[in-house]
Amino acid sequence: MKEKMLEKIKMIRDRKIKIAIKSSMFLILISFFTAISLWAEEQIQVFPSAPYDRYIIYQALALFWAGIIGLIVIIRMKLKEIERTQDMGIDKEEKDIPFLD
Amino acid sequence: MSCQRLKKWFDERYDFEGIRSFTKHKLIPVHKYGILYYTGGLTMFLFALQFITGMVLSFYYVPYHEQAHKSIIEIVTKLNMGWLFRSLHHWGAQLAIGVLFIHVFGTLLLKAYRKPRELIWITGFILLAISIFFGLSGYFLLWDERAFAAVRVATGGAGNLPVIGGFIKSFLRGGLDVTGETLIRFYGFHVSVLPFFTLLLIGIHVLLVQYHGMSIPLSQKDNVKKYEPFFPNVLYKDFILWLIALGVVVTLSVFLPPEIGKKADPLAAPPENIKPEWYFLFLFQTLKLFPGDIMGLNGEMIAIILISLGILFFFLIPFLDRKSARDEKSTAFTWIGIIYTVYFVVMTIIGFIT
Repeated sequence: MKEKMLEKIKMIRDRKIKIAIKSSMFLILISFFTAISLWAEEQIQVFPSAPYDRYIIYQALALFWAGIIGLIVIIRMKLKEIERTQDMGIDKEEKDIPFLD
Repeated sequence: MSCQRLKKWFDERYDFEGIRSFTKHKLIPVHKYGILYYTGGLTMFLFALQFITGMVLSFYYVPYHEQAHKSIIEIVTKLNMGWLFRSLHHWGAQLAIGVLFIHVFGTLLLKAYRKPRELIWITGFILLAISIFFGLSGYFLLWDERAFAAVRVATGGAGNLPVIGGFIKSFLRGGLDVTGETLIRFYGFHVSVLPFFTLLLIGIHVLLVQYHGMSIPLSQKDNVKKYEPFFPNVLYKDFILWLIALGVVVTLSVFLPPEIGKKADPLAAPPENIKPEWYFLFLFQTLKLFPGDIMGLNGEMIAIILISLGILFFFLIPFLDRKSARDEKSTAFTWIGIIYTVYFVVMTIIGFIT
């Protein structure tokens, strides 16, 4: 019975030691990588880094392209209409055309 | 004052009817190389974009070597939309110079420089030189170690020219070496001297194009399908291209914003594997072809002299190509144009890859 108890205490102690070793290793690694990033060349953020800002920018870009495509479609339609009237020869201004007023 | 009264007010003082009539009667020939007519307008649009974004950036940029780099970081990181304007200015410049090269090589290959359009070629050539200097001076304003080294190499290279080299070098640097004085000088060039000459030359260039009309390539003289009115047909097509170009510039600015390097240190060694901007790569590669010493003479000086002669020949092409001036087929100058174009493209690609 006593042996079993001692065995259990030993197991708990070993587990605690293992956890302590693991935690200290983790802390060492964390500090090591933090130190590495500090030694590394400072990278200047040339683009907003917050996910929300990025989302807004990409959304604005998509809307911007939608606007551009819309304008191109309108200009193309207008151009086709002009070319159609030009082909029919009805775009020329007549001289001495009477004014309604 | 109503709109009609305002119109009448202007009509009484200025010949708007004449301008309206001119735009209505200006015709553009339609042929298979017609797309090249749009490159000039596209370059002008991109230049206008550069003027707008540049004006915004100039409100916040500090042209003093102690603060220049920091002020750009602040524009990018602290100002609302500052990163976008800087990015637009960067990508607008790349695209403007790219389209300008297409415009120049297109003019060269289609021999649009031939009599009586020599002055259009001259003004265009000077505009190309100004644009490249715009690029170099703008790049230097960043005041990071790469820009610093690039300007030291570029101004040093100009210094190798015999007789006038020393003067050009010290004039550009504002002293013996690249210092804070050079930054102030380059800022002056970038925001006042170059824009003034650009506007002046664009004005002359466009006026001359209007005066002479559009050039038709010799091979297409009998193949012109029809003539299109500039207003509204060609102008509308211009608008479409400008919108696409604006979209491309904005997209590149969002996805590939230009990096900012470490602040320049005049006493530090230049960074390794340094490369100039892409439009200088062909010159950079050409310089690399020459050994340091050629028969006891300075190899770099010989390279600079040969490059200068090549550029001078390019400039004088309208006066040397006599056959084209007489509207005759000129095979030799077609090949010269092809060699110039291929050399520029191949050397730029090699410079980019290596």
